[in-house]
Amino acid sequence: MFRLKITLFLLVFVFALHGGEPYVNGALMSKIEGKYQIYAKNRFLYLQKTLDEVQNANDMEKLNAVNDFFNNVRYATDAKIYNKSDYWATPWEFLGKDMGDCEDYVISKYFALIYLGVDPKKLFFSYVKSLRFNAAHMVLTYFETPRSEPLVLDNYNLKIFPASQRKDLIPVYNFNGESLYRASTSGNGQKVDNDKAHKKWDELKLNMKRQKI
Amino acid sequence: MTLFKQIAILLSLFLLIVLGTVLTLNFKSANESVSQRLYEDAKNTASSLSLSLGGANGDLSMMSTMINANFDSGNYISISLVDVDNAVLYERTIESSYSAAPKWFLGLVTLEAPVASANVSAGWSQVGILHVQSDVSYAYTELYTILKSLLISFGVLAAVALTLLNLLLVAVLKPLKGVQKQAEAVIRNEFIIQADIPYTKEFKDVVLGMNTMVTRVKAMFDKGNRELQQQKELEYIDPATKLKNRKYLIDKFPEYLKIDASSKGGVNMMLALSGVIEANEQIGHKEVDALFVNLAQIFTDSVSLYTEAIVARMNGTEFAIFVPNCDEEEATEIAQSIKNATQYAIAEYKLDPELTFISLGLFEYNYRQSIGELLALSDNALTQAKFCDSHIHCDRAQNATEVMGKDAWRSIIKEALSHDTLSFVSYKVVNAGAKTVAHYALSLALESSEKTYSYGQFMAPANQLGLSNKVYQNILNMLFKKTDPQLKNSICSLRLSYEYLEDTQSYEELSTLLKQYGAKLPLRLIIEMPDKFVRKNTKDVKEYKSLFEKYNIDMGIYEFIGESHDYQYLQDLRPLYIKAEADYFLTQSVQSLSALRLITDAVGISLIASGVMEPETLQRLKEIHIDIIQGKMSDTLEVEL
Repeated sequence: MFRLKITLFLLVFVFALHGGEPYVNGALMSKIEGKYQIYAKNRFLYLQKTLDEVQNANDMEKLNAVNDFFNNVRYATDAKIYNKSDYWATPWEFLGKDMGDCEDYVISKYFALIYLGVDPKKLFFSYVKSLRFNAAHMVLTYFETPRSEPLVLDNYNLKIFPASQRKDLIPVYNFNGESLYRASTSGNGQKVDNDKAHKKWDELKLNMKRQKI
Repeated sequence: MTLFKQIAILLSLFLLIVLGTVLTLNFKSANESVSQRLYEDAKNTASSLSLSLGGANGDLSMMSTMINANFDSGNYISISLVDVDNAVLYERTIESSYSAAPKWFLGLVTLEAPVASANVSAGWSQVGILHVQSDVSYAYTELYTILKSLLISFGVLAAVALTLLNLLLVAVLKPLKGVQKQAEAVIRNEFIIQADIPYTKEFKDVVLGMNTMVTRVKAMFDKGNRELQQQKELEYIDPATKLKNRKYLIDKFPEYLKIDASSKGGVNMMLALSGVIEANEQIGHKEVDALFVNLAQIFTDSVSLYTEAIVARMNGTEFAIFVPNCDEEEATEIAQSIKNATQYAIAEYKLDPELTFISLGLFEYNYRQSIGELLALSDNALTQAKFCDSHIHCDRAQNATEVMGKDAWRSIIKEALSHDTLSFVSYKVVNAGAKTVAHYALSLALESSEKTYSYGQFMAPANQLGLSNKVYQNILNMLFKKTDPQLKNSICSLRLSYEYLEDTQSYEELSTLLKQYGAKLPLRLIIEMPDKFVRKNTKDVKEYKSLFEKYNIDMGIYEFIGESHDYQYLQDLRPLYIKAEADYFLTQSVQSLSALRLITDAVGISLIASGVMEPETLQRLKEIHIDIIQGKMSDTLEVEL
């Protein structure tokens, strides 16, 4: 059942793309405006404009446009924004507050690229260690093919580089929630109805579904 | 089915369904919880192992070793690593699994172990996806243990709940038990007033209603009882001398003038006081009345040793002293003493003994005589006495020529008893109004090697030979042990004689018989007892009735002449019916009969007229609404069988 919901969720994004649906619909926009004032609304309108401009572009152009747009958002820790040690914000919270930490950049970039029609299987949440800051970090990685060298979409380094050029990052773990949902349905040949893949990812999907702002 | 049972079953079912549902939901929840934990365990393993595998930098042998180490140390069905093209790189699957849970449980419960997955990467490169699935055998064992605990807990809970439910129902429905007992008592025509008025309004109304009804019925019975007592005094007692009157004597005669009478005969004395007119003129009515009272006392005293003797005033100047079990010699002595005492009394009133004297006609009767014969022959003896010098004359009934002597009868009866050649003969007792058979009255026949003797023929010699109790024992054995197939499924009445019932052994014999055969008796039996025995031995009869009720046997009363001073015994014993001679009913005053009906209707007793021989008698009985009859006429009526 949950798999069907996820598929439908992604299909909504695809149909939104082809049907001219905005990234943030009118009702949600009104709520965002009500909570975060007119500036927030303007940011979402600018995001929509940015996305509309690369609607028909190739993946690389889409990656650049999305990466550039979200890297303009200010960095702030979860402790400062949400008073929590670690929190994965929805794109609406991230842009509404106009600040977030590394995971929030990754999440917003991920869903914007999905909206633009990029294949979810190509996008991974990568846990890395930042040698520059000597801290745990997360970046969005784009794999053209499963065996390709990934491109790194980072909020510290504002430009997109192939992974091999990011000597300041040590990869630890790649994670793709969608692939895990699919995997759990066919693992060991046994059909198991599973709505879980990754604790943080599962929470985020629930918040997305509830349109948490 | 009782209300208690219905409510108990309904609530028990409801309780068991609720408990069953809770049990099922609990077990389902436990099942889901176990499944969830299986997944969480698998997921934790997948996450930690996938991170470890990332350190192997894509070295399959290293990754295989890591997977083996995890697989062997934990409880998993399988751990597999697939590459980015979904091709299996390495896989471990369990070869055998053991669960402590029984096979039926494994077949009954479906437990799913979800597959947990985690991405595996080597540096920036993707290696593939790791799938981990936990072993369910341990989960089955745990679930089975949970189920056992749940079943025990719910079993105890159900037992406690059902016990509490039972106690609660008993408490709530306790007043209903009282109501039920009272209702059953009303059905049995018993007058029970329930003193404890229930608190529940519905029950309270019912109890108050029944109490009122019972009080009214009891009042009706009491009123009838009082009226009948008053009527009996008017009908049976001579107001001047307080002796019994002619009607009483005539109503009592059938008890002594019958085939199976307890005494074979006795003496009936008719006494007439001559010169009463002269005496009235000489000393006045008042003094003459006093003289009669004196004479009544003399007569009563003269036969005080004879318990069965009846002294009655037949009319203004004539008296009768009926003395069963008395012979001519004894009677003559009594007559002489009466004559002497009377002469003395007359002399005390200063009357002329030549004008005022008593004549005593003695007639030695036997049980074969009719009432008419007895009275006519007694009157004849009195007439003779009036004209003889001694004023005492004795006549005796001519003994019918005995066909057989006592020894012959003893032989025949004993042979019949030893060879079981007594058999039942049944006569219809019919309801002439409804034209239905009320029941069949059982009589006896004795079959000897030469001929068959009727009850009337052999019972009198049996009585005289002291064999009647043995005859009753024999027929009761016959009835219970070897019931005549023709009697099956019918309603039959059987008379027990005064002498048989008076024997202290009889109750024990009957009780033993009933214990052994009472429950299997294939007919509905009514045991009849004489009114005289019932009145005198009400306590014993109550024991008989209790005994009969255990075996669904009814009780009837025969030879009723309503001579009791209190009819409470009818209410206490509630016989099915009262049988009395047709003449008894026909000679009752309207008030008497009405009072009797009030009593019998109040406690549901039927009235049956026996000895109905003529169509005219039947017609007269119908006119006074005595519809159930026994006798020759009952055989002539067309009835539905």
